[in-house]
Amino acid sequence: MTVFHFFNCAILTFGPHAVYYSATPLSEYDTLGTSVKAALVYLGTALVKLVCLATFLKVSETDNFDPYQELLKALIGFIDVAGLYFALTQLTHRNISQNHKFQAVGLGWAFADSVLHRLAPLWVGARGLEFTWDYLLQGLEANANLVLSISLAALGSLMWLRKNKPKTLIPIIYACAGIVATMPSITSYLRRGLGWQFPKVVGFELFTSLVMAFISWQLFSACQRPSA
Amino acid sequence: MAHRKARERDMLDSVYSMLALVFILVACVELCDAATVVDVYRLIQYDISGVPFGSRLASLNHHAGSLHFSPGADLSRTVVMIPVRELNISFVTEYVSRKHPLGGMLFLLPEIFRLENGGGGKDVREKEVVKNVLLELEKLLVHAKLPYPVYFAFENDEIDAVLDDVKKNDATGQPATATTGGYKLVIPIAEPKKVASPTITNIQGWLQGLKADGDANQLPTIAIVASYDTFGAAPALSVGSDSNGSGVVALLEVARLFSLLYSNPKTRGRYNILFGLTSGGPYNYNGTHKWLRSFDQRLRESIDYAICLNSVGSWNNELWIHVSKPPENAYIKQIFEGFTNVAEELGFKVGLKHKKINISNPRVAWEHEQFSRLRVTAATLSELSAAPELLESTGGLHFVDETSFIRSVQLVAESLARHIYGYQGKNIQIFADNSSLAVNPSYIRSWLDLLSQTPRVAPFISKNDPFIMALKKELADHTDEVIMQHEVLDGMFTFYDSTKASLNIYQVASVTFDLLLLLVLGSYLIVLFSFLVITTRGLDDLISLFRRPPSRKVEVSQEKLANDNYECVMV
Repeated sequence: MTVFHFFNCAILTFGPHAVYYSATPLSEYDTLGTSVKAALVYLGTALVKLVCLATFLKVSETDNFDPYQELLKALIGFIDVAGLYFALTQLTHRNISQNHKFQAVGLGWAFADSVLHRLAPLWVGARGLEFTWDYLLQGLEANANLVLSISLAALGSLMWLRKNKPKTLIPIIYACAGIVATMPSITSYLRRGLGWQFPKVVGFELFTSLVMAFISWQLFSACQRPSA
Repeated sequence: MAHRKARERDMLDSVYSMLALVFILVACVELCDAATVVDVYRLIQYDISGVPFGSRLASLNHHAGSLHFSPGADLSRTVVMIPVRELNISFVTEYVSRKHPLGGMLFLLPEIFRLENGGGGKDVREKEVVKNVLLELEKLLVHAKLPYPVYFAFENDEIDAVLDDVKKNDATGQPATATTGGYKLVIPIAEPKKVASPTITNIQGWLQGLKADGDANQLPTIAIVASYDTFGAAPALSVGSDSNGSGVVALLEVARLFSLLYSNPKTRGRYNILFGLTSGGPYNYNGTHKWLRSFDQRLRESIDYAICLNSVGSWNNELWIHVSKPPENAYIKQIFEGFTNVAEELGFKVGLKHKKINISNPRVAWEHEQFSRLRVTAATLSELSAAPELLESTGGLHFVDETSFIRSVQLVAESLARHIYGYQGKNIQIFADNSSLAVNPSYIRSWLDLLSQTPRVAPFISKNDPFIMALKKELADHTDEVIMQHEVLDGMFTFYDSTKASLNIYQVASVTFDLLLLLVLGSYLIVLFSFLVITTRGLDDLISLFRRPPSRKVEVSQEKLANDNYECVMV
C-alpha cells in the first residue's frame, strides 16, 4: 500500500500548515495573501542562496564536517533572515494586526520550505514498494520547521516592527533570533560532525523548536504587556 | 459576503480538479529502488511431445517465507526461500508430488558454486555433500511439472540477511501476507514464450590421411565424436564440466596431438580422422542422428569405427567401453584389445559393456547407438557403467579430476595411434610424457575452465554463439577442413525462454501499519487543531464548532458576546 504511505507522509508534512491556518484566527482575517507573498519571498531567497552557495562553496567528496565550509554556509544562511526581514517589513500587507502578521509570514515561509525541500523526495520515494522510516521522519522535521519559522518570524517582528521594547529584553531577543537562525548549521553539525542518526536529529529539532517557541512566546507577551 | 462565497466556490472547484489530477498521477506505483536486487536463474520449462515439465510460470510477486512455517499454513501466496545447504529433500518431494499450491520456490545455492569461481579445487568436501543434494534436487525438479515459478540464486550477504529476517518472522507464527508486512519478492518479467525452431549445430573437422600415389580407393576413416551441449535444472547454470565438457576437451586435445603428427607427411597416417562435436546430446543424440544422415553413403561405409566420448573426467580406476554389437564381433574385439593393452600400461582397467539396441524404442541411451543404427561400428568410452536415463547425467554439477582426465586422453590417443600406425600389441608409447607429443595439462586446464563457466543448453544457444565460434576456430586450427551443420531440434522437444531474471526484494510494511499510521496522524492533526483553537480563540469557539445553533436569537446574542470579548483582547 504505497500510495497510502505517500498519502500518510504527505498529511504529516503539509497537514499542520493547513490546520494552523484554519484553526487560528488567520483564516477569519483572510491572511492567505500574506502567506502567499511570504512563500514567494522564500522562493526568491532560496534562489539567491543557491547562487551564493554555488559560487563560494567547494564540493567536498567526503561527508565530514568542515568548519570553514559550515561557517560559510551559516553566513549564507543569514540571507534567510534578510528575506524574512524583507517579507515582514517591506511588503505591503492589508491591515492585519502585528500578532497575525508574523504568524502569516511564518506560516507561508514554512510551507514554501516544506514544499521545496520535501515534496520531491516524498513523491519519488514514498510511492515505491520499499518501506523506510525516512519519510515519516522528514514529516516530523517539517513540523519542527513550522514551529521554528513561526518563532523566528515572531522574534523578527519584535526586532524590526516593534519600536518600544523593554531594554533588558533586547539582547535576549537577539540571542534567541541568532540561535533560531543558525538552526540549520547546528543540525548539519550534529549529523556530520557528531554522526547522529536521523531519528535523533529529528528528535533534537522537535525539542528545540518547542523550547524556542515557548521562549519567543514569553518574550512576545512580555513585550506586549507595557502597551496593553 | 456573497462575493467571498463565490470566490470560495471557484477555489474549491479548482482544488477538486487539482486533487483529481494528483490522484491519477499518484496511482502509478513505482517499482524502482528495491533494497536488494539479485540475479536469479529460472528452472527449465519444456514439453516432451506435449507433456509439460518444469516450472510453468516466470513472473513473481509474492511475499517471502522460509521453511519454518507452521504446518497447515496457506502458502499459495508465498515464495518459499530454501537454502540448498539445509535442504531436506523430502519436503520438496512431498510438495511436488502432492501438488500443494505454492506461490513459488527460490533455491539458494552456496557461493562456491558460482560460475566465476570455476570448478573443483576449493572446499571439495563441503562441495561433495551439497553436490549430492543438488543432483537429487535436479533430478526431482526436471521431471516434475510445477505450476509456479522456481528460481535459483546464489547466496550473498544481503540475501542471507533477508532470509534470517524471514525465518525470525516465521518463527513467531505469523505468515507473511499483505497485512503483516515482511519482504516481498518481485520479478517483473513477461510470460515465457516457446523458443521457435531451436537450432542444434554440429561441428566436424577432417584430418586428411596420407594417400599413397596411385591408390584410387578412399582411405578408411576413424571418427571421434563428443556431444558438447548440456541440459540441467537451471539452463543458465548448466555447465556440465564432466558431462560432457570432459568429452569435448578430450576430443580437442586428441585433435591437437594428431594434427601435430599429421602436419608432417612423413608421420601422416593412412587413415582419415573425423572429429565431430555434436549437439542435441541429451535429446536422444538428435544432432548425431542428423549429422550421420547428412553423410554420403560412401563416406559412411568408409568409417572403420567411431569412438564416442561421454564423461571421461572424474573416474577412479575403471573406464567402460559400451558397445551395441555383440562382443564376439571381430571388430569389437580388435578395438577392445587395443584399448585394454594401452590401459594396462597406463595402470587401470577397461571394462566392456554390451547393450542391445531396440529399434522400435526411440530412446537412444548412448551416442554410439546412432552410429550402430546406420551400421557403423562404434563404441562409447565413458566412466559411467550404466546408461543414463533420458535427461539425466547431462550437464549437472560434476567436477573434473585432472589426473584421471589426462589418463583418459592418453588412452584414447594411444589406442587410436596404435591402430592407425599398426603398432597394436607393441609396447611403444607415442604420446609419452615429457615428449613433444605429451598431453598438455595447461591446454586441458584452460579449456576445462572455459567449459565449466559456459552454460550450453542447445535451444538457448544461437547459431552464432561465441562458444560455438570458439569451438569451430579451435577445431579449424587442428584440422584441415571444418564444416558446420545447423539443424532444427527434433519436434518432440519444446522449450520456453526466460532463463535469467532480476529479483527485487522489497521490505514492505503491512496494510495494518498504514491504517494505524493514518489513525495516529489523524488524531495528531485533530489534537493540534483543538489546541490551536483553544489557545487562540478560546474553548467556547471549539465547542461552538460542534454544537448546532439552538436558535437564531441565542446565536446572535452569543456572537455579539464573543465579538465583544474579542475586541477587548485585541485592544
